[in-house]
Amino acid sequence: MPTSKAPSPNRPTAARATWQRQLFPGVTVIVLVVVLRLLGMLQAVEWEALDSFLRWRPAEPTDQRLLIVGINESDIQQVGTYPIPDAKLAALMTQLQKSEPRAIGLDVYRDFPVEPGYADLVEVFTQSPRVFGIDKITQEPVAPPPSLPPEQVGFNDFPLDRDGFVRRAFLGAFPPASHPDAEQFRLAFPLLLAEAYLADESLLLENGRRNPDNMRFGDTELIRFAAHTGGYVRADATGVQMLVNVRSGASPFEVVSMTDILTGQVDEALIRDRVVLIGITTPSIKDQFNTAATNAPTHPVVYGVEMHAHVTSQILSAVFDDRRLITTWPDGWEYLWIGVWGGMGMVLVRFVIKPAWYVLSVGLLGLGLVGLSLALLWLAGWWLPVIPALIAFTFNGLVLPGFYLYDQTLRSRIAERQRVIEETYDAIHNGPLQTLALLRRQQDTLSTQASEQLSNLNQELRTVYHRLQQESLATTDQLQLGSQQMVDLRNALHEVLYEVYNETLQRSFPGFDTLKFKVVKFEPLQESWLTAADRRSLCRLFEEMLCNVGKHAVGAKRLTIDCHTTDTENLIRVADNGKGNHPLSASEPQSSPAASSGGRGTQQAQDLAARLHGEFQRTFQKTGTVCEIRWPLKRPRSWWQVHIWWKH
Amino acid sequence: MTTPSDSLKLLVVDDHEAVLGGTVMTLEKAYPMATIRTASTVQSAQTELSYGTPDLLMMDLSIPIAPGETSEIEAGIELLRSLLERYPDLNIVVQSAHVRSLVRLKPAIDSHQAGFTIADKNLPMQEMLTKVDWALKGLIYTPRDMRAGIEVKPEWLEVLRLAFKEGLQDKAIAEEMNVAERTVRHYWTKVQDALEVYPEAGKNIRIQTEIQAREEGLID
Repeated sequence: MPTSKAPSPNRPTAARATWQRQLFPGVTVIVLVVVLRLLGMLQAVEWEALDSFLRWRPAEPTDQRLLIVGINESDIQQVGTYPIPDAKLAALMTQLQKSEPRAIGLDVYRDFPVEPGYADLVEVFTQSPRVFGIDKITQEPVAPPPSLPPEQVGFNDFPLDRDGFVRRAFLGAFPPASHPDAEQFRLAFPLLLAEAYLADESLLLENGRRNPDNMRFGDTELIRFAAHTGGYVRADATGVQMLVNVRSGASPFEVVSMTDILTGQVDEALIRDRVVLIGITTPSIKDQFNTAATNAPTHPVVYGVEMHAHVTSQILSAVFDDRRLITTWPDGWEYLWIGVWGGMGMVLVRFVIKPAWYVLSVGLLGLGLVGLSLALLWLAGWWLPVIPALIAFTFNGLVLPGFYLYDQTLRSRIAERQRVIEETYDAIHNGPLQTLALLRRQQDTLSTQASEQLSNLNQELRTVYHRLQQESLATTDQLQLGSQQMVDLRNALHEVLYEVYNETLQRSFPGFDTLKFKVVKFEPLQESWLTAADRRSLCRLFEEMLCNVGKHAVGAKRLTIDCHTTDTENLIRVADNGKGNHPLSASEPQSSPAASSGGRGTQQAQDLAARLHGEFQRTFQKTGTVCEIRWPLKRPRSWWQVHIWWKH
Repeated sequence: MTTPSDSLKLLVVDDHEAVLGGTVMTLEKAYPMATIRTASTVQSAQTELSYGTPDLLMMDLSIPIAPGETSEIEAGIELLRSLLERYPDLNIVVQSAHVRSLVRLKPAIDSHQAGFTIADKNLPMQEMLTKVDWALKGLIYTPRDMRAGIEVKPEWLEVLRLAFKEGLQDKAIAEEMNVAERTVRHYWTKVQDALEVYPEAGKNIRIQTEIQAREEGLID
C-alpha cells in the first residue's frame, strides 16, 4: 500500500487532509493581507503604485483648451522686483483679453496692493467678469484681492496625503471654523475656471443624478472622493474632493512666459476661447506641489499653476472628450479581487509541476496582474488594489510552495521508506515464500523433521513481514490497538472498526471468556465529512466500548455489535447481556446517560459526540449494558472549524 | 467429490507461473470437462471477467495490477473488494496465507451471496480441491483466524430461530423474513461457517447445525 499511489475512492481522508494542509496557510495569507490593508499599512505602497501607473501611461495630446502663462525666472529678472507689481499683471491681463479667452485665472496672491499700478489692477478686476483670482482658506488663510467680486474668487488649497503628495483636489469646501467667512460654501479655483468655460456651452454646475453628492456638468458627474476610496484608509474627505487624473505626457499643456505675451509673440489661437492660467513657474518662488504622477521635467514636483491646470483640464476633458475620471470599486469587490488572486497563487502549484516553469508562470502571472491593472487604469480609469493582490498572489505562489515542499519532502521520505519496506516484503513473498509453498505441498514426500522445519521457516519469514508492515505505516494513518496490533486507518471506517473488533476480542479479558457468540453487523458508514482525527477517535472509542465489556461484564453470553447508517444518522452500538458490574451501575441502577459521573473515557466520548453533533450514551439495565454513539449524516459546520478540529 | 460438468467455467488468477501451472493441472484432473482460463494481473482478470462471469474464480492475493509491475497484496485485496461489490453471485476461492489482510473485508464477505472459501496455499492440493468444491456449492469457509469466536449476523440468528424453534422450512422462513428462498439458503451456509459445520459424508448438515447451535447457545 504505497502512499505514493493516488488515493483510492474509499480513502478520502488523506486527500482531504492534504488539501486542508494547503488551504489553511493560503487563506491565512489572504486574511492577513486584508487585515493589513484595513489597518492602512498598505496605503503608502498603493499610493505609489497609483502614481507610477499614472506616470507609465502613454502620453496624451497637449490640451487645446488651456494655456499656462508662466511667470518664470527671466520674467522676474526682467521686471527686477518681486512680487510682480500690479501694473505688470494688469498689463498682462489686458493684453490677454484682446484675444478673448473664455477665462483668465490669476494664481497669484493679491491680498494687498503691490505698487506701482494698483489702480490699473483694480480696474481690470472690476471691469472683467472673466478674470478670476485666488485666496487660501486652510491652515494660514490668505485673503482674496479686495476689489475682486467674491464669485470670481476660488480657493487654491489642495488636500495633501500623509506623505505630502497631491493626489486629490478640492472642488469645493466650507472654510475651517476659524475662517472669517466660515459659513459660506466656497468653490475651488480650478473648478471655478472650468465652470466659467462650461457656462459658454450652457453647461451649469449642478448636483449629480446618480449620486447627489457628486458635482455634475451636463451628463458628466465628478466622482466624489470618500474616506475609503480605493487604497485610502480613513482619509480626510472634508469638503467635496476628487481624485486627480493628471494629464499624462511630458507636455500636457501649452506654456508661454509673461514676456512672450507682453511682447505679443504668442499666436492668438493659443489664447482665444481658452482658459488662461497665470502663475509663478520658477523654483525660486515656492509655489510647488509634490506629485509623483506627472512626467513634468521638474518631477516629482509641479508648479501650483500646473496642478490647477491638471484639475481644470480633467473636468473639461471629462465633459467634452469623455476622458475617464479615476474610478474605484466598492470595498467588497476590492477584497474579492485580492482574494481571487490569493486563491490563484494557491492553486497554481497544482497545475504547473516543473519548478522552472513554475517560477516563470508565477512571474508571468504577476506581471500580467500589473499589466492588467495598468491597462484598466489607462483605458477605463479604474484604480484597482494591485499591490495587495500582488502580495497575496506572490506570497501564496512562491513562499507557500517552499513551505509545502519542506512538508512534502518529509512525507515523501517517509513514503519512500515505506515503499522500500513493502518492496522488500513483496520480494520475499513472491520468491522464497512461493517456493516454500510448493515445497510444502509435497510434504508427503518429505521427512517429518524436514516438513516441520519448513513450517518453521515459513513462520519466521512471515514474522519478518508483519514486523515490517507495522513499522511502515505512517503514524497519522495508523492506530495502535491495546493488543499492540496496528490498524490502517485509511480503509473504509466499517472495515477498520471490524479490524478493531477482531483484534480486541482476541485479548484476554474475563468478560470475553464467558461469551458464547457474537451477533455482528458491520455495514458501510457515511463518513465523507469525518476528519482523520474523528475516525481515530471513533476507533478508540469503539475499542474502549469493547474493552469495557471485557473488563466489566459479568456472565455475558452474547455480544451484539451494530454499526450501520440509517437515513439520517450513523450508529455504532455495543451491547452485552451480562449482569453488568460496571462502575456506575451500583449508584445508578436504572438507565441513565453517563454524562456527569463518567470517567475520563466517558468525557472523551462525550466530547467526540459533541464534535460530531451527535450523542453518546451508556445504559445499564438488568438485561445487559448498551453503549452507543450516534451522529447525523449532514455536516453542520463550516470548513474553518473543521480545520481547527482536524489540527487537534 | 469430482462433479464433472460440461459447461463449468473456471478462472484462475495467479502471477506465479509455477503455482499457476500446478493449480491448473490439478483442476484439470478434477474437472476434466471444465474450461479453465487464467490471468496473471488485476487488469487481465478484469478483462477475462468482462467476457462473462465464470462459475468460479480462484485467486491469489499477491498479484500485480498490470504486467511488469510488482505483486502487491493490496492489489489483490482491492480486486477482491471490487469483485464482492460487482459480482455478488460469483463463487470465489481465495488462495492466500495472509488471512490477516482479509480481516477487514470480512463485513463484505459476510454480505456476499455466493460461495466463498479461503484455501491456504501451504496446504496439499487435495485441501484446495475441497475448497473449490465447497465454493461451487455456494458454501462459505473462512479460517478460524479470521473470526473472533462464533460470529453471526442478526438475520442468521433469525433463520436458526424460525427453523429450530418454529420448525419452519426454508420457504416459510423466506416468507416470514421477507427475503428470497435463495437468500435463506445462503444464510444457512453463513451460519454453518460460523459454527464450523462443513459437509461431511454420511452426516445431515442441518442436524449438525442444530446440535452445534444449541451447544453454543445460539438457540435456547
